[in-house]
Amino acid sequence: MNKKLVSAMLCGAMVLGSVMPAAAAGEGQKLAMVVKSAGNAFMELAAGAFKETAEAEGATVEIVYPEAPTADAQIKVLDNLISQDFDAIAISANDVNALQAKLQEAMDAGIKVSSFDSAPNPDSRQIFVNQAGTVEVAQALMDAVLDITGGEGQWAILSATSQAANQNAWIDAMKTIMEEDDKYSKLELVEVAYGDDLPDKSTEQTAALLQNYPDLKVICAPTTVGIGAAAKYLQDNGAACKITGLGLPSEMKEYTGDDKACPYFYLWNMEGLGTLTAYTTMAMVAGDITGAAGDTYTAGDLGDYEVVEAADGGTEVILGAPMEFNGENIEEWAEIF
Amino acid sequence: MAGKSGRSINNVPEAPLKKMILSWEGILVILLVLVNIFCAFYSEFYNLSSLLRQMPIYLAEVFLLLPMAYILVLGEIDISVGSIVCLTATMSCIVCNTGAPFIVVILTALVVGAVCGAVNGFILTRFTELPPMIVTLATQIIFRGIAEVVLGDGGSISATNTEGLILLTGKVGQIPYILFLLVILAVIFAVVLGKSTFGRRVYAIGTNRLTAHYSGVHVQKLRFIIYTVMGVCSGICGLFLLSSSFGANTTTGKGFEMDAIAMAVFGGISSTGGKGNLAGGIISALIIVCLRVGLGQRNVHAQVILLILGILLICAVALPNLIGQARRAVKR
Repeated sequence: MNKKLVSAMLCGAMVLGSVMPAAAAGEGQKLAMVVKSAGNAFMELAAGAFKETAEAEGATVEIVYPEAPTADAQIKVLDNLISQDFDAIAISANDVNALQAKLQEAMDAGIKVSSFDSAPNPDSRQIFVNQAGTVEVAQALMDAVLDITGGEGQWAILSATSQAANQNAWIDAMKTIMEEDDKYSKLELVEVAYGDDLPDKSTEQTAALLQNYPDLKVICAPTTVGIGAAAKYLQDNGAACKITGLGLPSEMKEYTGDDKACPYFYLWNMEGLGTLTAYTTMAMVAGDITGAAGDTYTAGDLGDYEVVEAADGGTEVILGAPMEFNGENIEEWAEIF
Repeated sequence: MAGKSGRSINNVPEAPLKKMILSWEGILVILLVLVNIFCAFYSEFYNLSSLLRQMPIYLAEVFLLLPMAYILVLGEIDISVGSIVCLTATMSCIVCNTGAPFIVVILTALVVGAVCGAVNGFILTRFTELPPMIVTLATQIIFRGIAEVVLGDGGSISATNTEGLILLTGKVGQIPYILFLLVILAVIFAVVLGKSTFGRRVYAIGTNRLTAHYSGVHVQKLRFIIYTVMGVCSGICGLFLLSSSFGANTTTGKGFEMDAIAMAVFGGISSTGGKGNLAGGIISALIIVCLRVGLGQRNVHAQVILLILGILLICAVALPNLIGQARRAVKR
């Protein structure tokens, strides 16, 4: 009796299973995402969205955290992943060049290599999912500096580490923009300081900048840790110097507004980045795209995307222009991330 | 009776001691087999080829174990080696980036390592009353400090000229070069420590430095040589680390001294001197490497792996005591 019941249920399940639509984009795929380090709230948003999107499409997903925010820790992680027959690895690189040998080994083993947030060099990847075009971000930041300084005066940059690939790309692009257009000619970039993405060191660097350049009008920090630490320091000390850059709304809520340390700042949607990375990676595994310039695909609700040539000679897809957070919308966005 | 206390010169490898160490190595071999069986069940991807493929990055540390065993047998300690690794990796990366022939890069690593080791050796033999723990603590800070100054604000350097470094990561079949070199050096170090006059003298110093001195052993000369060799091996470690990670930063080699000491102690080499041999240390190094690879293949967090290794180490140092107590109980 019992056996009959069980077999009947099994039959039922099989019939149901065969009727279910099997059109999911990531069906049966095994994907890994390698983030920069553990405990990075910003990165978690992308990782969470990546996992959610890919799993909804039927893929199995593993998010892997290196033991330290360094390239050698990521190399150990990649070693582990290459052994585990993953279909694809999506990575945010801690160093532009150091991962090349390992990522090439992965590609030789038939693993698709996509990157997001921070790109390894063109030889190390098949595609880069760019949160915002380098030029778009640099342009937004330069215009913010121009606006907040009132068009002239001293300003400084507070970056992450001197090796951080994305920060360096933005800083270089900002310098280029500043040289090319006359309207920036009265701005003086006095120093690029490095807070290593550590709150303590970023605070120290901010203090040093204020001390060394009493007339400093704006600090631009294209890193979430740096802008948070600097905003707190400037506001606590009632400094005349303002801060702008790239930050997390939830961390910047107290400091953002016209009468506060940070009039406004920028960021892209990290969740959108994770989602786009998931669709891009799945499309590569499925063979819909190869990562070559000109490839087109649909990324779910985000719409259609086209792969383009990147400035470093590789290929990329660009999520979109960065978004401005100011006194008016900060409350609302701080709830979200 | 002198043999039992382990405090005599001639009797060091005598029967009771030898028996205990032998049995300890026996336990380690069994443990190595068990760890491999565990890993094979735990990770479906754990096999000889994945082990050989993933091994190199962990093997670099084992170069430190070899001379560290000598230093522990001397009854001393060198906690500056992690910093020497960092400094050699940094300096050879800089030389490498200038486009110098790769042999120059190798020489840089060896020479920088040797100089650092010789500095330790010089201070320790010039001021013989200074405790090695304190002296090497100071040089640990100094060597890493130099590396940090050289690395500058960013705190890291990446190799731009990777051709030679990639050569170092080459393989014969599936067996990486680093494994060959390690096996050769391990055999040499083990034979010298276990079978040569030099090795006997090391045990003699570790057992009783004064007696060794009065017996005509050049205690200070020997210590100087060993600390310098420690530096050279740190250079080899730094070079291989550079070749697998294509760069160096301020955290390169951090904690390696403790890993090397842990491998040695786990292998039955007493940190109070005069006891143990290299075979045990090498087997325990293999156990640690296999565990790291096996657990890593299931993406176990690196910190959790460290935790497991720590627990293993505690068990390893407690076990001989427990066995001793059990034996005494049986004898009664």
